[in-house]
Order: sequence, then C-alpha cells, then structure tokens
Amino acid sequence: MIALDHVRKVYRRGRHEVAALGDVSLAIQRGEFAAVRGPSGSGKSTLLMVVAGMARPTAGRVTFDGHDLYALSARERAAIRAQRVGFVFQLFHLLPYLTVWENVASPLLSGGLVTRSDIAAVVERVGLSGRVDHRPAELSAGERQRVALARALLKRPDVILADEPTGNLDPDNARQVMAHLAEFHRGGGTVVLVTHEVFAEPYAQRTVHLEAGNLIGGEPRTHAP
Amino acid sequence: MSVVWLLLREVRHRKLNFALGLVAVAAAAALPICVLTLCEAADRETTRLMRNMGFNLLIVPKGLSMTDFWSHDFSRADMPEEYVHRISQSKRLLVQHLVARLQRKTEWHGRQVLLTGLLPEVPMRYLPDKANMGLEIPRGEAYFGSEVARSTGTKRGDTVRIGSRGRSRTLRVAKCLAETGSLDDIRIYAHLRDVQDLLGLPGRISEIQALSCQCQGERLPRIRKDLAAELPDTQVTEFRSIAVARAETRDLMARYAAFLTPAAALVCALWVALLAWGNVRERRAEIGLLRALGVGSGQVGALFMGRAVLLGLIGGALGFLVGTTVALCFRFQLFPLTGGKAEAQWSLLLWAALGAPVLCAVAAYVPTLVAVTQDPARVLTEE
Repeated sequence: MIALDHVRKVYRRGRHEVAALGDVSLAIQRGEFAAVRGPSGSGKSTLLMVVAGMARPTAGRVTFDGHDLYALSARERAAIRAQRVGFVFQLFHLLPYLTVWENVASPLLSGGLVTRSDIAAVVERVGLSGRVDHRPAELSAGERQRVALARALLKRPDVILADEPTGNLDPDNARQVMAHLAEFHRGGGTVVLVTHEVFAEPYAQRTVHLEAGNLIGGEPRTHAP
Repeated sequence: MSVVWLLLREVRHRKLNFALGLVAVAAAAALPICVLTLCEAADRETTRLMRNMGFNLLIVPKGLSMTDFWSHDFSRADMPEEYVHRISQSKRLLVQHLVARLQRKTEWHGRQVLLTGLLPEVPMRYLPDKANMGLEIPRGEAYFGSEVARSTGTKRGDTVRIGSRGRSRTLRVAKCLAETGSLDDIRIYAHLRDVQDLLGLPGRISEIQALSCQCQGERLPRIRKDLAAELPDTQVTEFRSIAVARAETRDLMARYAAFLTPAAALVCALWVALLAWGNVRERRAEIGLLRALGVGSGQVGALFMGRAVLLGLIGGALGFLVGTTVALCFRFQLFPLTGGKAEAQWSLLLWAALGAPVLCAVAAYVPTLVAVTQDPARVLTEE
C-alpha cells in the first residue's frame, strides 16, 4: 500500500545540510501494523511526514496505493490525507478552543460526510462520551490522546500514522492507546507507528529500526497481541 | 463545520488578542472620523472668525492711480453706485459680501475725519445667502470711530451735525466703535445716501469692498479677467495677507485630517500586522494540524485573512461610533459658534466599513503568507 523507494530527505539549516533520511526503501502492506523504532533524531518523524505527503523527499519515490505521491499536486495529496489518512501525534495537537466533540469533528473542515451518530460512536469508542463539552485544557494527557485517536478514526481512514502516540502518557493510558490502534488494525486498517519505546513493539507485526536516517532490519511477526 | 465557524471559535477563544486589534483599528478609524465630522463646523467657525479680518478685495475705478490710493489710504476717485448691483448679478464672479462705500476726508470740530458712507451689503444673486459682515447703518444715524469719539467727547445717543455750506445733516450717534488701531478709528460712518447728499455726489461711490477667500494662486487673475468683462472701467486689488491667511486657516482642518488619516492608518496597520504575526506564531501547530487533516492552503489563508477582515469590519464600525460620539460630545466646546453644524456623517460609516477591513487585510497579508507557506511537517515533528 505504501512504498518508499530509495528515499532521501535532506534539510537545509542555514549553510548546513542535515540528512534526516539517508537511503530508505520500505514497503508497508495494506492491513499491516508496522512499527518504526529508533532513537531521537534518527529520522522517524520525517519518515512519517514523507509517507503522509507532507515532506517532499530530496530523492527517491513514495507511492501510496500505486500513486506516485509527490507526482500529485499539493491539493491531491491533501485530498488523500483528508480521505484516507488519520494522524496521532505525541503532542496531541488538539485545537485548544474547540470542545472534545468539535475536535473529533475537525477533520470535516477538509470535507467529508459524517453524521452526528458517527461522531458520537467514535467518541464512545474511546470512552469520552461524558466529556464531549470539555476543552483540551480540562482533560488529562491520556484523555487528550484519546480525543486525537477519535479524530483520526472519524473518517474511517485506510491508514493511521502515529508519531510517538504514547510518548507523553503513563503506562495505563499508553496501553489504552495501543489497544485502540490494535483494534483499528484488527478491523483491517494499516498502522504505521513511530516510536522509540520497546513497550509498543509487541503490538506491531513488523518492526523496522531506523538509525541516523537508515533502516536496519525489519522481520515480520506472525501474531500481533 | 467551516472555516468561518472555526474563525469565530478562535476569536472567541483568543479574546484579548482580538480585543487589542479592535482597539487599534477603532482608534485609527475614530481619529479621522472625529476630525472629518468636525470639519464642517470647523470650517464655518473659521469663516466666522476670519470674517473679522475684513474684506480682502477692493474694486476701484480704473483711472485711479494705486500710488495715489495707497498714499492717501482711500480712493479719491468715484464710480457709479450701480456697479455694485451689476456685480451682484454676475454668474461668473467668485466674490461675496459686496459693500459699496463713498469716502472723503473732511474737517469736523477742527479735526481731520474720514467721512464714510456705506450701502448695506448687496447679496450675490446666484450664490447662497451669507450672514452680513459689513456694518449696516440706518439712514439718519452715524457710527463714530474710537479716536473721533474720544477726541471730540462724542457719546452714543448724541446728535451731531455734519457738513457745511448748505449740505449739512443731523445724525444721531448710534454707536461708538472700539479701537482698531487703523484708519477706521478716525472714520465717521453713515448710510451711503446720507454721505452722497452731504458730499453732493448722488449715485456715486468710491469703491466696492468684497470677499473672496480663494484668491490664492491663479484666482486673482481670473477675478480680474471676469471683472474686466463685467465692468471694463474698474480694477481690482487684493489685500493679499488677509486672503492668504483666510485660505490657509480654512485649509488647516483639512490638512490635519490629511495628515492624521494616513498616520493613524500606518500605526494601526503596524499594530494589526504585529498582532497577526503573533497570532500566526502562536498557531503554528494548529496550522500544521489543519494541513495534516487535508485542509488546503487557501482555507488556511482564509482563516487568517478572514480574521483580519472581521477585525477591520468590527473595528471600523466601532471607530465610527467612537469618533462620531466624541465629535458630537465636544463640538460646542471646540466650536462655540458653529458646533451645531457638526453632525453624524453616515457616509463615513461606509468608508470605515470598507477602508478598515482593506487596511487590516493588507496588514495581515505577510503573516498570512507565512502561515500558508510554513512547512507543516517541521512544525508537527517538533518536540
């Protein structure tokens, strides 16, 4: 479903060049739960942004469902994100002035048809039915991440791109978040999880390691927990 | 869920930022609106005050030597009184407040006085009526200049006899004028008819005084040309310092407005730009998230531009309200004579409602451009 072919990404910071991704080739199948592990600064988040069509690689090719992602226009890439991709971030990135309900519904800004009962269902699924009128500032970190999860799940995406989703959570909340991602995966969804924690690894079918912008290994697991 | 809805929610959330912007826009709009609302009253007040400076045009017979005129400080030649009525019928002459007068130096009680006959002001037929600025002396009465009154011990209510050799007339002193420090202090004013009788010059006048507040630049040659067409045997001279002072003073308010408006707009634009910049900085992650959710750059731009336009619309309307209220509250303190002429000018509301949003949009353009072009990936991967 997603394929990276000799992808290289270099950031320019003043006169210096930083190679966030060296030469990465990776294929992620539809319905796969793939984890990308590596230390801070290894290029994991950049990899995720490249896959999302938000960071044009310096070299190489990225295909999404057979489409050369960066041959498409920015509008077409935005449409793919709007319709087929859900995001979960370490820092949640909720809109502070919207309620839980409104944050979950915020993907509708880029279009799409979703009913109120769809929103209610996804809010209930992450266990926040009683907090729909609360603002992010009134929620715990775990609750905020569940709002972000509900937001990612609302439009029933094909892929969820999760960037350190448990990085700011305590073990209980981290487990809950991973359980939701696993549930999405069991329902046929594709998950690309970027993490530096070993804790998340058992949920993935395959873990690839990234170091200094280059992949190391990546054997598939037969069973996800 | 739409961009407008999101915009309104954000404004409600960041009330302080929006309120600070509103204050800037409202102040920038209020200042020129206040000045412009007061302009009419200011102009009329200036006119009223400047009228005290006297006439600025003098029409005299063509044959009169101006050297002779200035050496005696009055015209010794004369011309038909009918000329003043011909000028008043003119459609092209841009003059007002026509006062015909006849004057001669004469002796009275052993003193040199300037006997001056005045015709009541003749209105210009094709121009709007104006309040009289000359003296209006009824027949049989006289106004005494301060020096004549003081040196002869004449008081208001006295009856005096003026003239000699069968051409004398008894006049009642209706007024003793205040000291002016000019030739007027040795004048005895009377109605033109009385002076014409006294001097044996029926139907004759020495000069016509007039007022034209726009005699700067090319105006005087035009008046000269028009007057030559109407009355070929006359000439016109201008008391330039009075004319220039009148024109410049009346121009003052307009110049204030012309300076204040762009100055206020510039300060406001800088303030709005700074606030918009702050808003964009504060919302970098939000912009990144919206892009991740598939929201297009046009919508992100609309979110920030829309905010600026909304700020301009509300700020402009608020500025109109404040500016007009301040102007109406203080109009009589500022312009005691003509404050009533300052009224709410609803056309300014339209200008404020159009101008302020455009100004804010221009001010927010660069910050919006930054918001639209920022790299969402970099923001979203920042820890």
